[in-house]
Amino acid sequence: MQWLYLYFPSLQLDSLLHQQAYNQACVLVHKNEVVQTNPEARQLGIKIGTGLAQAALLCAQLKVIAYEPKQEQRLLAQLAQRLYQTSATLYLDPPQGLLLQTSDMLRLYKGLAPYWQQLQQPLMERGLHYHYASAHSPLAAQVLARAGNDRLLTNQDEATRLLSQLPIHRAGLDHKLSLQLERLGLNTLGQAQALPRSALGQRLGQTLVTFLQQLETSSAPSWPAYQPPERFRQRLELLYEIEHSTALRFPLKRLLSDLEAFLAPRQLRAAGLSLGLEYQEHASERLHIGCSDGEYRAESWLALSMLRLEQLKLQAPIIAVSLKTKGQMPWAPLSAQLFEPPGGKLTAGQLISRLQSKLGDHAVQQVYLQDDHRPERSFYQGLPQSHYQSQQATRALRPSLLFTLPQALNHKPDHRWCILSGPERIQSGWWDNVSICRDYFIARNPIGQVCWLFRTPREEWFLHGYFS
Amino acid sequence: MVLLQLEKERLVWRARQVAGPDHRRQSSFYPTLDAHLQGGWPHSGLVELACGPAGIGELRLLLPLLAQAQSRLQVWINPPAELNGQALAQHGIDLSQTLLIRCQNPQQALWSAEQSLNSGCCSHLILWALRLTAPQAKRLQVSAKDNQALMFWLHSQAEPSTSALPVSARLSLAPVATGLRLQIYKYQGLWPQHPCQVDMHELWPSLATPGHSSPHHVPVLMNNIVALPSKLR
Repeated sequence: MQWLYLYFPSLQLDSLLHQQAYNQACVLVHKNEVVQTNPEARQLGIKIGTGLAQAALLCAQLKVIAYEPKQEQRLLAQLAQRLYQTSATLYLDPPQGLLLQTSDMLRLYKGLAPYWQQLQQPLMERGLHYHYASAHSPLAAQVLARAGNDRLLTNQDEATRLLSQLPIHRAGLDHKLSLQLERLGLNTLGQAQALPRSALGQRLGQTLVTFLQQLETSSAPSWPAYQPPERFRQRLELLYEIEHSTALRFPLKRLLSDLEAFLAPRQLRAAGLSLGLEYQEHASERLHIGCSDGEYRAESWLALSMLRLEQLKLQAPIIAVSLKTKGQMPWAPLSAQLFEPPGGKLTAGQLISRLQSKLGDHAVQQVYLQDDHRPERSFYQGLPQSHYQSQQATRALRPSLLFTLPQALNHKPDHRWCILSGPERIQSGWWDNVSICRDYFIARNPIGQVCWLFRTPREEWFLHGYFS
Repeated sequence: MVLLQLEKERLVWRARQVAGPDHRRQSSFYPTLDAHLQGGWPHSGLVELACGPAGIGELRLLLPLLAQAQSRLQVWINPPAELNGQALAQHGIDLSQTLLIRCQNPQQALWSAEQSLNSGCCSHLILWALRLTAPQAKRLQVSAKDNQALMFWLHSQAEPSTSALPVSARLSLAPVATGLRLQIYKYQGLWPQHPCQVDMHELWPSLATPGHSSPHHVPVLMNNIVALPSKLR
């Protein structure tokens, strides 16, 4: 079996800097020690392991960010998710490594070079610095990659030769162990490999023997291979604080294009997104953005989200954005009519989602019928396409415009009114304490409005609607 | 030569041409109105209806049209009262294709109207709005034309807007016993017209008196009093 190891020495820093195109010296610091540097910082002489005080002396304007192992692990998982589209079997090797099994993929890509080209693309898009190596065993690939080999080897002998030439201190062994080996006069890995294993085991412990054995075994690692998650969930940390909701467009665009890359190959659509905004010194906030038809394209989601965000007033500067899907459904091609819709740019569902994002969910409604004799209860308004429309309309003539609250008439209708029909008695609702007893009339008033009036048993007159 | 060019680009309208290819109509399902308007409502565009007070029959004028065309959405924006689903369903309107939008301010209403028209999935749109400026009317008119939608703009003034708004048609409605009296101020592709009476008796026998019969006996309110059960009094 053939293995490829990808090593990202500055994964967290690269991801942070790439989104904001930052080109000043910047380092990640963990326990007062520099752990990741960007090229600008390296030019100034800041190395990994340099103390924070010394680094600050070398560059006064140095940007220092805390190293977060958890965030880096998340980034590695995101990267694996992206690479999973190219490579079927891959293993996470936290904190900064990915192991890919290549032998199965070579037939698909017809050779190592095209396969490697496919793999490189997402890495370049993310602006990551990486080292890589391929070898016959997972550990050999890892050791070579970490040593900065950066070559794709198909020949096992070549890899073995390179390994044997590798200095002991770069083999990724425990610091104490490599010091012991060097004191024995063993400067390269090859020299250690040449010695009898049992003697080495007795002198230097079993760890070294296992290490040397694993360099040669080509079987898969003991931990399980990467499985992509069922649902999309991603978090993006911002290098700068964002104070205006419209400026969220760019980080959001990146998250959404990742969403599209997640949904499209799975043939899924998201019915809704939950957008998390994390504030500085403030409880984080979640926005729900829905699309009743379901959508996977980043472009459409961006338009919907921006409509929503335009109305949002940020409580405090934003330091991170997260995105997860709410409800995923299989993608179905839109059943478009061939001749009818001339524009046909949006479906009804997309239009509704767009209107709802801007106006709020309750501004866009549909009318549903209900089985009740009381006119104000014979229909109700609900979210579009949320209920099943089943009822039959009543036979009796009803006005098209109805007041929710009947309006009291000051005067009893007099001779200038023209009664067109009536009375129609509606007496109902004794079961839920909203009982009514009304005599309804249709009448045309002096200015020509066709009104729906009713009279209560107490001889009060009300206007309830218009036959508009 | 220039005239020929203009004519080719349909920028000049000759009085001889009654209904060019651009002047398609959709029937209003009122025979007298169809005859009067040479085929009915415009196929697409913006129609201004000055209704005066709500409830004189302005929706009854449109309901037969809306009941016939249901392949796409019908959007109602800011009606002056609740839309009674029972009444709409009675007249054959598919409520699942009906969208009701309520907006806080006029800007949002216009935005929703434009979005609905531009989506291409809306065939008819009815907007209640107080007034439109010429640029707003133009934008809606273009959106409606481009997406082959017919938009009705209803407002409560008795007279249509005086400014020359770029609309396809401008009419005012007045109630009469038999139905409505339509005054046509502007109608694309038509000469100025005489007012037209729309007889609604056939479709709504109980709401309008028949047009050509002798003075109708009007029932007096006092004769219609029905005794209510005594315990309710």
